[in-house]
Amino acid sequence: MSTFIQTVVNGVLFGGILSIAAVGFSLIFGVMNVINLAHGVFVIGGAYAALVAWSTLGIDPLLALPVIMALGYVLGSQFQRHVMQPAVRRGNPVAALLVTFGFALVVVNLLTVWFSSAVRNISPSYAFVNLRLGDLSIDAVRLVCFGIGLVMIAALSLFMRRSRLGRVIRATAQSELGARLCGVDSKGVYAATFGVGSAFGAASGVLIGMMLPFTPAEETLWTVYAFIVVTLGGVGSPAGAMLGGVLMGVAATLTQTYLGAVYTNMVMFLILLLMLLVRPHGILGSAFRASR
Amino acid sequence: MLRPLLLLLAATVLLALLPLVLGPFHVRVGLSMFLSAGLALSWYILGGFAAYYSFGHTVFIGIGAFAAALSRDLWVSGHWAGQLLLGVGSAACVSAAVAALIAWPILRLRGHYFTIAMLAVALVCAEAVSAFPVFQGAMGVSLPNIAPPGMRVERFYYWAALALLLVTVVIAMLIARARLGYGLYAIREDEDAAMMLGVPTTRLKITAFIISAALTGSFGALYAFNLGYITTDSVFRGALSLEMIVHALVGGMGSIFGPIIGAVAMTALTKVALADMLEYHLAITGLVVIVVVIAAPEGLIGVVGRWRRNRRHRGRNP
Repeated sequence: MSTFIQTVVNGVLFGGILSIAAVGFSLIFGVMNVINLAHGVFVIGGAYAALVAWSTLGIDPLLALPVIMALGYVLGSQFQRHVMQPAVRRGNPVAALLVTFGFALVVVNLLTVWFSSAVRNISPSYAFVNLRLGDLSIDAVRLVCFGIGLVMIAALSLFMRRSRLGRVIRATAQSELGARLCGVDSKGVYAATFGVGSAFGAASGVLIGMMLPFTPAEETLWTVYAFIVVTLGGVGSPAGAMLGGVLMGVAATLTQTYLGAVYTNMVMFLILLLMLLVRPHGILGSAFRASR
Repeated sequence: MLRPLLLLLAATVLLALLPLVLGPFHVRVGLSMFLSAGLALSWYILGGFAAYYSFGHTVFIGIGAFAAALSRDLWVSGHWAGQLLLGVGSAACVSAAVAALIAWPILRLRGHYFTIAMLAVALVCAEAVSAFPVFQGAMGVSLPNIAPPGMRVERFYYWAALALLLVTVVIAMLIARARLGYGLYAIREDEDAAMMLGVPTTRLKITAFIISAALTGSFGALYAFNLGYITTDSVFRGALSLEMIVHALVGGMGSIFGPIIGAVAMTALTKVALADMLEYHLAITGLVVIVVVIAAPEGLIGVVGRWRRNRRHRGRNP
């Protein structure tokens, strides 16, 4: 029994990380109807940025987090403005998929050349502290990262509901033409959305880098994880990403404990496939365009 | 139909004679051009005709490769032609069977959802081949060399790939002129309208999917024979899926010769022109993809066509 509870607790903590990794992807998918295959690159890029900050500049990854988010925002919004916008305007239906995939290839290649394909990890002094609660043992870093992730998802949710830019983004998601008729600069809104999505991707990368070892090639895995979480939970809503992430995390750790680690990814991909076939708009399918 | 077939035959004979004058390196480049062209064209049968973009077609390369390797007992002794036919044939059959199994549920999805579902299929199959010991995917399987004694290995596979490419081109040409092809074009333009007008969309999509999978699997088997030793990671590679799409797009999606031209051009670029920059191979492929999507969404064929139209236009009105 205690193994089961421990597994579920680990799953929820892992799920929190999956949620924050997916929330930016979900935002971009929900607002722009673009499957951003470069999302994993922003995640892994965030991890490497944190690695540079920690190992060469000596800055704690958590302190570097806001700076890395800002970098992610700038890179993401510029990418949207100068690469995505012209591609989507001219291209065929999968132009966005191809352009983001191409960008991912370029970045992974550069990361591999700069950092080699070796497995890296970030382990600050407090990395190996364990909290004990009866039989349960909880990794302190994971708990802290989970907390930060929750706060950030809540903040994004508030931002989307309450702030002016959040309202404008939601309006543009509902009808680009309508928003433009009301004087919204839709290109600017898309750039901001992509920027926010990328910033959250990079932030999740910092947290992931503190908990798990990483390599450049893992970006594909994080893109797919984000996709699984979003198809499970529902597109476009932070709550959907949260729900999908936790379900996914628990499913992953349960598989790992009771079936064996080799089957973890297979079970996750199978869940994605079944979800796509049965209910492609997710458990909390929202009213965003992509889910309709 | 006769003129293009004669041209095709002439081109094939010419290409078949080339290894007699080329060195081993260039024969190998030719071989990988044929393999990429065949794969891109197999992908195009679904992706180009019906605009169902599969992002996981490498699953059929992997299934074909492993089907050929694991059916070794069937073909391990005998004449080389029989070995080749049995290996490639079993790959085609297994790929077609898997495709038939997943076709109906998968092809109900459209657009992005189909694309990503195929990616998920590829990931699931790759993980399964690695995880279950029956397939020996994690350890790898080796294939014996089946080139007839006395013939240079690269020449043998060059000719084998050329023959399979010829078969694929003929199949694609036949589809393009048959009811199947016109039905797929109708699906590409507007699937709902096609369905309303009585086009049996589901049946046509499934047929195209199975043909595409069988051809991809055959090329996967040939790829595996040429490698000699395969693991999950070497044949279930996302990069292979991407290459098929990139070649078709670079060449142009309007004609069955687009994927072939794109594959030849990209292979020449990456294997010959950039041979010394292997480190940046992926980055350059990525950049080419972005540039093509933005600057030449109709591919090389589209660019040439536009240039010719412009010239004719200028000639008329000086």
